[in-house]
Amino acid sequence: MQMEPASFPFLSAILLSCVVGMMAIILIPEERQLLIKQVSGVFSGISLLLSLYVFFAFNRSLGGVQFVEHLNWIPSLGISYFNGVDGFSVPNILLTGIVFFTGVLTMWELKTRVKEYFALYFLLVAGVYGLFMSMDLFFIFVWYDVSLFPMYLLIAVWGTTRKEYGAMKLTLYLLAGSALILPAIIFLWAKSGLNTFSFVLLMHPGLFTPSVQKFAFLLLFLGFGILAGVWPLHTWSPDGHVAAPHGVSMVHAGVLMKIGAFGVLRVAIMLCPLGWIYWAKLMAVLAVIGIIYGALVGLRQTDLKYVIGYSSVSHMGVVGLGLSTVTVEGLNGAVFQMFAHGIMTALLFSSVGYIYDRTHTKMIPELGGLSRVVPVASAFFIVAALAGIGLPGLANFWGELVVFLAAFKVYPLFGVIAVVTLVVSALFMLRVVQKAFYGPANPRYAGLQDVTLWLGTPRIILAAVLLILGLYPSLLFNVIRTASVPFMNGLPR
Amino acid sequence: MNWMIAGPEIFYFAASLWFLLLTFTAQPKPAQNGGRRREYLTAIFLASLGILVCLASVHAQGWLFTRGFSVDFFSQVFKTLLSLGLFLIVCICGQINDIEDRRHNEFYFLLFTCTLALMLLVSADHLLSIYVSLELSSYSLYILVALRKKRGQGLEAGIKYFLIGSFASAVMLFGMALLYSSAGTAYLPEMAKVLPGMMASPAVVTGLLFTLGGFFFKLAVFPFHFWAPDTYQGASNQVAAYIATASKVAGIAIILRVVASAGQGSTYLVHVLVILSVVSMTLGNLAAMVQKDMKRLLAFSTVAHSGYVLIGILVLDAAGYSATIFYALALLAMKFTAFMVVVELTPDGRNLQIEELAGLHRRSPLMALALLVALFSLAGIPPTIGFTGKFLIFTAAIQKGYVALVIIAMVNVVISLYYYLLVIKAAYLLEPAEALPPLVVSFPKKLLAGLSIAVIVVAGFFPWWLIQIAQAAAQPLMLGR
Repeated sequence: MQMEPASFPFLSAILLSCVVGMMAIILIPEERQLLIKQVSGVFSGISLLLSLYVFFAFNRSLGGVQFVEHLNWIPSLGISYFNGVDGFSVPNILLTGIVFFTGVLTMWELKTRVKEYFALYFLLVAGVYGLFMSMDLFFIFVWYDVSLFPMYLLIAVWGTTRKEYGAMKLTLYLLAGSALILPAIIFLWAKSGLNTFSFVLLMHPGLFTPSVQKFAFLLLFLGFGILAGVWPLHTWSPDGHVAAPHGVSMVHAGVLMKIGAFGVLRVAIMLCPLGWIYWAKLMAVLAVIGIIYGALVGLRQTDLKYVIGYSSVSHMGVVGLGLSTVTVEGLNGAVFQMFAHGIMTALLFSSVGYIYDRTHTKMIPELGGLSRVVPVASAFFIVAALAGIGLPGLANFWGELVVFLAAFKVYPLFGVIAVVTLVVSALFMLRVVQKAFYGPANPRYAGLQDVTLWLGTPRIILAAVLLILGLYPSLLFNVIRTASVPFMNGLPR
Repeated sequence: MNWMIAGPEIFYFAASLWFLLLTFTAQPKPAQNGGRRREYLTAIFLASLGILVCLASVHAQGWLFTRGFSVDFFSQVFKTLLSLGLFLIVCICGQINDIEDRRHNEFYFLLFTCTLALMLLVSADHLLSIYVSLELSSYSLYILVALRKKRGQGLEAGIKYFLIGSFASAVMLFGMALLYSSAGTAYLPEMAKVLPGMMASPAVVTGLLFTLGGFFFKLAVFPFHFWAPDTYQGASNQVAAYIATASKVAGIAIILRVVASAGQGSTYLVHVLVILSVVSMTLGNLAAMVQKDMKRLLAFSTVAHSGYVLIGILVLDAAGYSATIFYALALLAMKFTAFMVVVELTPDGRNLQIEELAGLHRRSPLMALALLVALFSLAGIPPTIGFTGKFLIFTAAIQKGYVALVIIAMVNVVISLYYYLLVIKAAYLLEPAEALPPLVVSFPKKLLAGLSIAVIVVAGFFPWWLIQIAQAAAQPLMLGR
């Protein structure tokens, strides 16, 4: 794999902006809430700018791994602090930057335990960034768990519905995932005989025997799959999303579930391609069940956040279906869908957050006619909902389209089932929109203030990204292709 | 003979003599805080001097007492850890209100003799010197446990500890006799040459297991763990902290030395160790889930941790041994931090219930953070030293092909996170029934808490230096074996 060393450690700078930001927040006295929020905004803004730079400066004609930083960490075990980005991780870095920044702005109205919230939030995002940029299996695992570290408190302290239950369930599920990942990673390390955790060195075709690959792939797929919300390991996700505070729900559904899918792609698929080909059918079946199950269960929900939670399971099923096709198009579509879904869910949770903070309810029947009272706030939700059902012109359309085209070729039956399910669920999403935002206005909310420009900023950014990518998808596809094409060409057949 | 290589032992012997003399002369009257302060400061001074002595002799090498006492980098690293452990425990002894004032000199005397015994133990290279130093440390601890003011609790715990302890040492003596009769020698290096060829003999395997039984008692490995929860609960918080840290560290050291000398080439021994490891961690974690008393919870988590430690030992190679040494250090840091919070929350020396942690995050954010970091480290979540230790152990185990064992251990990690999270929930989420005043933490304690947090996190993230030390310390175990 071709590697380009970084002229300046941009990736480490992104990580540092999170860590330094966290330290700065810890040092500010608790009473100065506004200052804490401003500092959070500045540091998350810096990380967003840096990730934007990485996204646009990534050389699309060169491909390979760029912005490489390498530092020996534990030489006796072949562990190194090894950062770098390729076509698969660049979109995710940008996604994290956007969701991070907008997540800070979404929580601008937070009043309780502000300091702890933002400190933990920064730690969470540092883990997410680290995972996306790490090229060393040890660090991939470390970052995975760093992002898990603050999760329990973030949900249990600042959450809403059944928060302690949701938090405990989520933390234990994700740790159970890591209980499968860690042995698999060490197993690969031991079987390679190279005494290295470096992803680039381990990604050597023919290094692992087929049986090793099959075994390790299964462990890794299940381990990361828990985080990706693969059916039947998804049950933590709706409960966790609903319980979490809005900013955390955004990171959660927007980025954290992508970590799972990204881990499946980066570690399981790229290191164990034979295992991937062997288990692809299973992945496809689980993905399709996930698509159907998420959509159908979502039909019955009355809580707005549960609707989004189950739609996430369904949409992440689309990512899984793309990964299971073993084609270039499938990978392209899956990574694109990861990005698009991340932005879309973040927008959904952000909009619901604004509405919930004012109406104090997420129950669909209790809302109603909101678009007359708060037209702008409602519009954001509606845009996201339309993106979710795959309206052309918004980003998700392209991700789903490419995945389904690939799936039709490989698994025609599954492709048809999945598309039909999504159409049905789209109808329902429209009914949710109609019930909550149109129809007779609920007199209780007559005095509701619409979103101001400042509070609307995060939603504007997210909606803009959806629109830009909807109109100009090759912005993202060009990047993804630099990784997917060489990888599939090098695949042993 | 160069007596200076026994510098740490001589120092701790002198220090304990000093406290013994104090018990005869100065009898501070009750409620006379000046006297208590003086002993405390003396103990801190001597304990910190002890660290320096250990550091100064860290590269010493040689034998004493007709080779029954060997000094190498392995023993010296553990002595440094022990001196560090004693210093930390003495630091939190500023308020030992549940031990009578006139007993404080005895208290420090016994702490120092126990440390002396543990230091002899990590250097012991002969079955008899092992036995003698083990007993010396155990007897000091029996009394320390029974010293608690509330007569019933302390005595009950002390007697339980004593009965199980003497049972374990009887078993150990029997095992040693079997080993001696088979090998014809009681020197560990000599046994290392003879025993690997005799592993088919039932007497050798039984003897080895019985001998290890005595150490399993120290480490609270199943089936020698029954004393742990009751003793932790019954002993004063500081003594429980000492048992959980220093005593465990020495237990790990002696098991390492004996297994490395005598255990090579025995598949049967490995099978037994695998079973004990799995049962210890599963049982410890399951039992910890239902505990209401913080010290009992920590006791069961100790049992579980002994299970993880055994994994590092049973792989029987340098990687496993160095990982175990690293883990011993990790255990010292994180167990101490957890106990420090317990001690800080209970100035009157009562037992801490988990629900009493409610509102801690407001009463003392620093202590709450220390507890959070220590518990996540115990659970093995990165970036903490507990994770790095587990990671090293697991890599060594998988390298040798124990994939299933590591998966079981990881499942246990998930179980353990559940009860650690319950404690964290109490500290960060629950509010006390009646508002409690903020916790007054003195500046030295704040410094100590801050340092503990820093060590756990920094050593977890930048472990290379410590790993090198652990690897160098594991080298003597492999020499000529």
